[in-house]
Parts: sequence; structure tokens; C-alpha cells
Amino acid sequence: MSEPSPIVLVVDDEIQIRRFLRTGFELNGFVVHEAGTGAEAVRSATLRPIDLVIVDLGLPDMDGAEVVERIRSWSSVPIIVLSVRSSEAQKVHLLELGADDYVVKPFGMAELLARVRVALRRQMRAVSGEPTVKAGPLTIDLAARAVLLNDKRLTLTPKEYRLLQVLAQHAGNVVTHQHLLKEVWGSIHVHDTHYLRIFVRKLRQKIEPHPDSPKILVTELGVGYRLVQSGAEGDAGSWSESTAAKTES
Amino acid sequence: MYNALNFDRIRKELPGVCMTLGLVAILTAVLFALVWQLGLAHGSVVFLIPVVIAATRWGVVSAIVAAICGVLASAFFFYPPLYSFRIRDPQEVLDLILFIFVAVTVSQLATRLKRQLEMARQREIDLRDLYAFSRRLAVAFDVSDIHAAIEDHLATIMQRNVVLFASAREASKSSGRRAGVTVPERVLTEVVEVASGHRDAAGGATVTAEGGEIWLVRAVSPKSLEFGVIAINLGRESKEHSDELRIRVDAVLADATATLERLGVAHAISEARMRSETDQLREALIGSVSHELRTPLASILGAATVLSAAPALQHEKKLTALVHDVRDEAERLNNDIQNLLDATRISSDGVKPHAEWADPADIINSAIDRCRNRLEDRRLKIDLPQDLPLIHVDPVLVQQALVQIFDNAVKYSAPNSRIAISARARDGRLTVSVADQGAGLTTAETSKIWDRFARGERHAATTSGSGLGLWIANAFIVANDGRVSAASEGPGLGTTVAIELPVTQAAIPQLESDSDE
Repeated sequence: MSEPSPIVLVVDDEIQIRRFLRTGFELNGFVVHEAGTGAEAVRSATLRPIDLVIVDLGLPDMDGAEVVERIRSWSSVPIIVLSVRSSEAQKVHLLELGADDYVVKPFGMAELLARVRVALRRQMRAVSGEPTVKAGPLTIDLAARAVLLNDKRLTLTPKEYRLLQVLAQHAGNVVTHQHLLKEVWGSIHVHDTHYLRIFVRKLRQKIEPHPDSPKILVTELGVGYRLVQSGAEGDAGSWSESTAAKTES
Repeated sequence: MYNALNFDRIRKELPGVCMTLGLVAILTAVLFALVWQLGLAHGSVVFLIPVVIAATRWGVVSAIVAAICGVLASAFFFYPPLYSFRIRDPQEVLDLILFIFVAVTVSQLATRLKRQLEMARQREIDLRDLYAFSRRLAVAFDVSDIHAAIEDHLATIMQRNVVLFASAREASKSSGRRAGVTVPERVLTEVVEVASGHRDAAGGATVTAEGGEIWLVRAVSPKSLEFGVIAINLGRESKEHSDELRIRVDAVLADATATLERLGVAHAISEARMRSETDQLREALIGSVSHELRTPLASILGAATVLSAAPALQHEKKLTALVHDVRDEAERLNNDIQNLLDATRISSDGVKPHAEWADPADIINSAIDRCRNRLEDRRLKIDLPQDLPLIHVDPVLVQQALVQIFDNAVKYSAPNSRIAISARARDGRLTVSVADQGAGLTTAETSKIWDRFARGERHAATTSGSGLGLWIANAFIVANDGRVSAASEGPGLGTTVAIELPVTQAAIPQLESDSDE
């Protein structure tokens, strides 16, 4: 890659975690800034240009959620949260506050890197205005409102397309049930998860090569859905790896 | 003793008195006819019949009414001059006085007999209840069984709402609603006072609640607070009646306490309480230790994954293998700690599911995904019909239960053996079964595998584990109104674990109409 190294801000109060994250990121060509407290993180994010923020939820001075909220109030920099297990409600809350994704502690470096690349790629697409999103054999052309599977055009109903469109706009990142329901059915239906389940099932029949074990439109239990992206950096393995390398408990 | 103005009393006696009057009237008519037809004289003794009947059936008031009416009827119809209450013959006056005397005596005797009979019957009922109570105590399993027995026993005997509080803590934590009975705030405060030993426990106190109902609060046993404190709703009874009820409560509790003391229950209760406090302490300890262990584990695991991908190690096969070991072992340790944390969560707070509509296939796929590494060298056979109904469960809990079951299937089966995962919906239930070709179960093991810390003795030496996994799986499924079961043809013939979850068909059909517009 000839482009400049992406800069990542690591916010965690545990020095050991910061150390392995720094090493892991630097080995993969990132520049790393560190912050041990929430206040330091917010200051650091305002002082220097930063491409991505990684925030641990348990900080000594303020809640990780507050850091997300403060940074999000003036910046659209991608934010990935390090969360603990068994708190799906908390994950949803953080995503609603503006976090782009989360990784469950303890995690492997490969998993975090996969999430980071997805977030960076999305940011890049937002800047460049790239209208197509590829997910495995699926291509979504947001400008032409066309969906192609193995270069064959699919016929989708307006709502099916809308659902796919919202997921494609956040390609690679998890999108919460509430967000999808609001975007596709309107805000009075935000709790009607069963709409979504039935629809996703129909959509998978059309877009997944093996609808029984979905690889493109995957479920994040208790949180939402993710359109798994691949191919952009030639690391076709990363999307299967990111699921296989999940180390959460 | 008889308050003339007591309307309750009058209402109670009225049917008896009416019946008595009817009886006397019929008898008079019959006698009158007999006297007229056969010329009999002096029928007054016959009037003892209604007196005796009234005394045994309806009590002393009716008996006296019967006697008076008998005298009046005799004087009116049978003693000359007829059809007048005057009596001419002094001999007949004496007869009537004698009649009155006999009537009153007979009625007294008959009433006393009746009361004794009633008391004997009540005593018999009490004894039967007490016997049932002591039988229940004898089979009582733990403190709450004993308390429920006392509560039910009192409620049956008193026919009143009875609530038993084991300790002051329970009463102060209670919101006032227990077993369908609402205990008013004021009563709760009193219960706390009594249970903390701030009041004289023996007699108990009455509290008038906001609604005007009178509650009796007292310790079950005056000697020891171990048996708890009861609150009984006496209703809006008058003072006398509630005194009567209090005497009965005293009697019942004296019996109950005697039984409890004989069975050594006080000792058992305090021991059980101590045990449960030890349990709580242990849970808290496990909880905090596990949490403390997890933090460094996150660094170890993360650092190991960085090392395993580090270019410097790419050509050092031995070192890479070492790093992989570190990663795998850290992961295993993390799983064990997670199990301990789950177990403490289950036994301390209980499981609180966040139910939502979920696609069973999603849950199963996600569980398989989570176990991908461990399932790698097993032949997976997945059979999920496309039309599985949605289920309303906490998908994360069900997934975690499945992960435990997969884990177990892998642990007790050989590499390259088959693990078949299938789902079926039938009769309003969804069944997910996981069948392996592994070690199987003996009959004894089948009954024990869902227990906490259950470990197959045949495998204790060869496989590691805490014996918590299936216990956790069971707790998570039960929290979602489901159940788990395990079946095996026998040792070495594989095990099939099945999860059953309820399917509620709600709100789904309406969707079809607006699905495509």
C-alpha cells in the first residue's frame, strides 16, 4: 500500500492491553497513539488527526460510552468499542451512540484488525463516494439501485432492497435491529423484530449461495445484522477469518 | 352472655327459632286433632319432644322458645277453659310448672351434649390437621418447605390469610406481596420489629392496617426467633371475636412449636441458614476472583495472537507452536472462567432472559460458528428445515447453552466422528437435537449429567472440565421456558442431547399482508 499509514488511537487504562495493541497494530502498518483515561482520549482526538479510535468501556475517569458520545459530537472518525460479554443491551446502546462496531474481550488481534479494516474502508468509501459495495459474490450498486449475484441481476421487492441498502451503507459493520426497523418500516415498528426475521429469511433465499448457513448477511445475536464484506484489499480470507477467529468465550 | 342487641346473634338464631315454632305448631295441630277425635286429655308432656329436638339441633334459645310455646299451647288448647290462657285447676298449674322445669333441664343437658359433640369434632379436625402438618414437616426438605408447612397449617386451621417471614431481612426486603396476599406497610414494619427481637415475642401485637383490617403479628415460637414471624389477617372482627381468634392462634402455634422442637427443626434451620450464607460468600468470592482473572487473560490472549502472527516468528516452527499453545490454553482458561462466572450468575441473581423474536437457524448457526475451532475435526451434519417457526427467547442464552452442548459432544467423542445437529418443530415445540457418536451414557450417568459439578467417572482421568457446562446449559434453557434431555443407547454408543423450546404463534401472519408492496 502506498497510502500513508492509518493512525489509530488506543484508549485503555490497562498498560498491558495497550502494549499488545500497539505491537499488533504497528506490525500491520498502523501508527499508534495511546490514552489511559477518557479525558486524555478526548483531548488527544481533538489535537491530532486520527483515522480510528479504539475505546475500552471500563475507564477510570469516565464511562467508555461517554467518550464515544463526546468524540461523536464533532467527529465522524470510526470508533470501535472493546466490550465485555453478556451485555447485548450495552452493545446496542453504544452502537446507537455512534460507535461503529465492537469487539468482545478477550479477543484476538486478527479479529480486531478485521473490524478495523472494515471501519476504515467504510470511511474511505464515504469520502470517495464509491457507489458499489461487494460482499462475497454479491454486488450492491447504490447509485443504480441494482443488486447483482455473480453478475446476475436480482429482483428484490422495495423493502428487501431498502434493507440491503441500509446494510450496505454500513457494510462490514453491525447494524442494530432498531436501526434497520426504523429505516425500513418506520419508527413505530422499532420493536417488531419478527418483521425483520421473516424478511431476512426471504432475502437470504435470494442472495446467499447457501441460505442455511449464511455467509453474507450474518446475524449478530441480540444486537443486529452485518453485511460481511470481502475482497477490497485482496484479503479474501479476512471475512471468513473474522468469524472463525472469534475468541469470545 | 347473651347480648339482646346483638343482631348477628339474632340472625344466627332465627332459623332455629322459626323451625321450632313450626314444629310446635304442627305438634299442636296433631294433638288438637287427637284430643278432638279420641278425647285424650293432658297432652303437655308431648311438648317435651320439640324442646329436646330444638335443644339438640338449634341450641338453648330455640329450646326455651319451644318450652314457652309448649306451655302457652297447652294452656290455650287443652286446659279448661279452652281457648284462653287462664287455667282453672291448681293441679294443672302444678303440671305446667313441672313441665317448664323438666323442659329447661332437658334443654340444658341437650345443649351441653351438643356443644361437647361439636368440640370433639373440632378437636378431631385440629388433630387431623396437626397430623398432616407433622407429616409434612417430617418430609420437609429445606427451610422453605418447613415455613410453607407452618404457613399452610395456620391458614387451614384459621381460615385466614397467613404470611410467614423467615427473618427480619426477608420482611424488610419483601415488597408486601407474598403468595397472593398483600401485607400492608404498617404490618411489615411490625414484623421487622418482632423478627429483630425488639418486641416481646410471646404475646404478639395487633396492628390495624390502613384499610381497617386487624393483623396479628407474633413470633411462631416465643422461645426462639428461628422459626420466623407470622402475620395473620384477622379481618374486621369485633374485639371479642379477635380475642377468641388469638387464643386459637396461641393453641395452634403451641402445637406447631412442640412438633417443630421435637423434630429438632430449630437446629436444622439455623444450620441451613448458615450453609446458605456460606454459599453466598463462596459465590461472591468466585465472582470477584473470576473477574480479576479475566483482565490479565485478555492481555495474555491478545499478546499471544499478536505473537503468532508476528513476521519474526513465521519461520520458527517450534516457537510458533509454543505461542499457539499459549493462545489455546488461555482460551480454555477463559472458557472455564466464563463458566464459573455464568454459574455464579445463575445461582446468585438467577437468569433474566431478554426475549425477542429469533430465527432458530440463526441461533444454531451462531453457536456452530462460536465452536468452529473445536468442531473442526468432527464431521458435522446439519439438518435445518427452511420453514422453522420463529421463537420468542433470549437468543444469546440459547446460543450459549448450545455451545456448552457442542463442547460436551466434542469432548466425549473421537476425532472424525460425526456430530449431527437437527431442528424440528412439532406440537408447538421446537426441538434441537445434537447427536454424537461418542462415549455415550450409562443409566446412572443419564440421571446425573444435568447436576452441578457432575463429571462422568469413566472419563474423569482422561478429559478435563469442571462439570458446570451442562448444568449451565440446563439453567439457560429452563430460563427460556424450555427443557433439555439426554438419551443414549448405552456406553460407547453416542449421546443425543435435545433442547425443547416453546413456539408461540403470534403476530406472524399479519406480516404476510404488508410484506410486499
